[in-house]
Amino acid sequence: MSTDTVTPLDEHRYVLNMGPQHPSTHGVLRVILEMEGEYVMNPQPVLGYGHRMHEKMAESRSWPNFLPNAARMDYLAALIYNHGYVGVIERLAGIEATPRAEYIRVITSEMNRLQSHLLWLGVLVLDLGAFTPIMYTFEDREKLIDILEDVTGSRLTYCYMRVGGVVRDIDDKFISRTREYIDWQRSRMPMYENLVTGNIIFRKRVEDIGEFTPDLARRYGLTGPCLRATGIPYDIRRAEPYSVYPEFDFDIPTETAGDCMAAYKVRFREIEQSLRILEQALDKLPDGPVMAKLPKKIKLPAGDATYTVESPRGELLYHLTADGSDVPYRMKIRVPSFSNLSVLPEICSGMLLSDLCACMGSLDLVIPEIDR
Amino acid sequence: MTFLPPELLRILVTVVCAIVIVFGNAVVMGYLERKFAGRFQRRPGPMEVGFHGILQLAVDGVKLVGKQLVIPRHADPVLYRIAPIISFAPSIMPMLVIPFSPKLQGRDFDVGLIFILAVVSLNVLAILIAGWSSNNKYSLLGAMRSVAQNVAYEIPMLLTLMSVILVTGTFSLRGIVEAQTNGIWFVFIMPVAFIIFFAATLAETNRAPFDLPEAESELTAGFMTEFSGMGFSLFFMAEYTYMFIACSLTVILFLGGWQGPPLPFAEYSSALWFFLKVYVLLILMIWIRWTFPRVRFDQLLNFCWKYLVPFALVHLMITAVVLKL
Amino acid sequence: MNSRDAVISALKKLPATVNEVEFKQCGYHLEVLVDAGRLRDFALLLREGDFYLSFISGLHLKETIEVSYQFANYSFPCRLLARVEVEADNSLPTICDIFQGANWHERETRDFFGVVFRDHPNLMPLLLAEDMAELKPLLKKDDKLKERAAITRAAAAPDPQPAAAKEDA
Repeated sequence: MSTDTVTPLDEHRYVLNMGPQHPSTHGVLRVILEMEGEYVMNPQPVLGYGHRMHEKMAESRSWPNFLPNAARMDYLAALIYNHGYVGVIERLAGIEATPRAEYIRVITSEMNRLQSHLLWLGVLVLDLGAFTPIMYTFEDREKLIDILEDVTGSRLTYCYMRVGGVVRDIDDKFISRTREYIDWQRSRMPMYENLVTGNIIFRKRVEDIGEFTPDLARRYGLTGPCLRATGIPYDIRRAEPYSVYPEFDFDIPTETAGDCMAAYKVRFREIEQSLRILEQALDKLPDGPVMAKLPKKIKLPAGDATYTVESPRGELLYHLTADGSDVPYRMKIRVPSFSNLSVLPEICSGMLLSDLCACMGSLDLVIPEIDR
Repeated sequence: MTFLPPELLRILVTVVCAIVIVFGNAVVMGYLERKFAGRFQRRPGPMEVGFHGILQLAVDGVKLVGKQLVIPRHADPVLYRIAPIISFAPSIMPMLVIPFSPKLQGRDFDVGLIFILAVVSLNVLAILIAGWSSNNKYSLLGAMRSVAQNVAYEIPMLLTLMSVILVTGTFSLRGIVEAQTNGIWFVFIMPVAFIIFFAATLAETNRAPFDLPEAESELTAGFMTEFSGMGFSLFFMAEYTYMFIACSLTVILFLGGWQGPPLPFAEYSSALWFFLKVYVLLILMIWIRWTFPRVRFDQLLNFCWKYLVPFALVHLMITAVVLKL
Repeated sequence: MNSRDAVISALKKLPATVNEVEFKQCGYHLEVLVDAGRLRDFALLLREGDFYLSFISGLHLKETIEVSYQFANYSFPCRLLARVEVEADNSLPTICDIFQGANWHERETRDFFGVVFRDHPNLMPLLLAEDMAELKPLLKKDDKLKERAAITRAAAAPDPQPAAAKEDA
């Protein structure tokens, strides 16, 4: 626990300030590194450069008006944040979305997860010094975003889901384009296997780096692919099923090594699982309206509710306390990267500076999400 | 032109040509690197300025010249200004002894090879000065990495050179090329030495996957972090020139220098062959850079001390034994 | 502890008030009311039961500030929301030596609500700037404060599970 306290430096050590503007911190994260030569002895993340106090904003506006905020925390998983937010309102108010809307939510959420994982793949390898894969993953990601743009109207900070459903129905063109995309993405995966997974330099850089253990995960509340890399098959989509996820057949990839390579493999295989969910959801998509019939103005009853969804980075949780008025009394948003980043001081002490970059790339941090 | 002694005239022409080659190479390489990087990444590369972006480099040059030279407040102003010059200036000198063709050579030294190695090794000093004088920890880390890396990789490089020298018995670059007549290039006789030498040159020129002194994603830009404008572009040009020199040496030592079957312009055939071989190697370097991730520092040194140096030593011994027999 | 019943009986022994609630309505399985004095024992118990800490957050009520701790388990579905009222001097014991992840969550709660966690190694502002330690943005104005009863879910009439009946505060 002394990791947090500032101790006087001994004479061989110096302080290196990494960030808030640094290519490997993926946003305005600052890490104060106590260094001994090239070795990082004590990294201390400093947060809050992008802090916007979303939780206070939630208390000052009526609950439909908060939806655009939900998209602006994690810019890579905006639809999943949408999903969590409408989910918690529906749970508290006892509203059920229409079946078709639930399917569309799953389809768009999984597409969002895919584009997040594709970006992570490119960025991780970029952190390790290879410039080319990110261009390839952006090519794939561009196809996804184009499809999503057609139905949601935006490319990054989606505000697509509504309480009781989604705002626009998907059409046949969307479905056929998505099917084309699934085939395309499948055809690309062997290339990434060859270009990245099989690359000896890449393997040497990520193997045995940043070893997570199940116990460490419990102590820090680690969730998401980094947790599954330690061998625990914990995925909210399975553990506490929400929406229509129980209706799909998909695996939860796990690895046992717990190092960055294991986290890499887990995420890499999750891409295929997301494609499988997409395929099944498109096959099973029921007909019907996409918005439930709701009263003009929904009042949230007093009480509290939690809604947990699996974001690409782990457990995303909204905890809403309502007092019967039309603004939430308190909204707590538990973001996965917050807990995931807090392991950094423990696992990265004593590692080389280059490994720290690999480790942060493997945690897949999104800083605006942490800062909220 | 009779008022000039012919020897002085020759020196002047040589120096002008050397400088032209240095700048010409920097421009060509800058363009090639960006175009090839674009191709590898499935994008067109520079397209806007001139036909297929061919004038992009000129525009960039104007931009860099026009930029302010910012000197950080606590930097050492003298060393900070001098460092890019120390890096760039020695890169011109090897051009004087490189035999581009049987006729096209500034001067053939008996110790041409040693001359090049001596001059080129000044670059480490420049990088160290740059890193130290910037008063920036990232720069200093980059400089420290550079020194360790260059000192380490000079050893396997020199050891493989010794194998070649044992065979040829001369340090003269022309002599080495002439020893590889009739297509018996040393790359066919000593492929291992060629691979070790090429790997070592990648590290010596700080190119990916051994570009640790720059390492954008870790050290922002390593020793160049604080440099702007012409200070930066001198380092930039020096890097391309050292790559050119390294590839020229590889061509001379292993790929038969200017030798090759006659080409259409028979008179220039040998010089064309030389440049062709050099640029094939340079493009190979670009290809490697845009394909591989960067190695880690300890891996870099382990690779040198545990693999390259022993292999080079064994190779040297085998060469010596074979020659003696 | 590898089932929800075992967790409930262990918690009751602590002692703590445990209410089983309807997951479909609340999104968590157990609601636990713990005294501030037993918070560390409670955390130790959950640490031994292989729970992980999901979040720590505050809630400003008319009576007091309530800090909620949510835990969940990787191996079986048991999401658990613990409510702890702060002690009179607006403080609580820290649990960040038991769950290291609590470190940042406690700092965040200190930022937003001013709750002091005793023996915390470094209670500096985390998300707020260093000079904003006294801002406490999530404390509400007096006229907006509600009582505990006003934000408690009304007991559903056709409730199938008697245990799910909420505490009648």
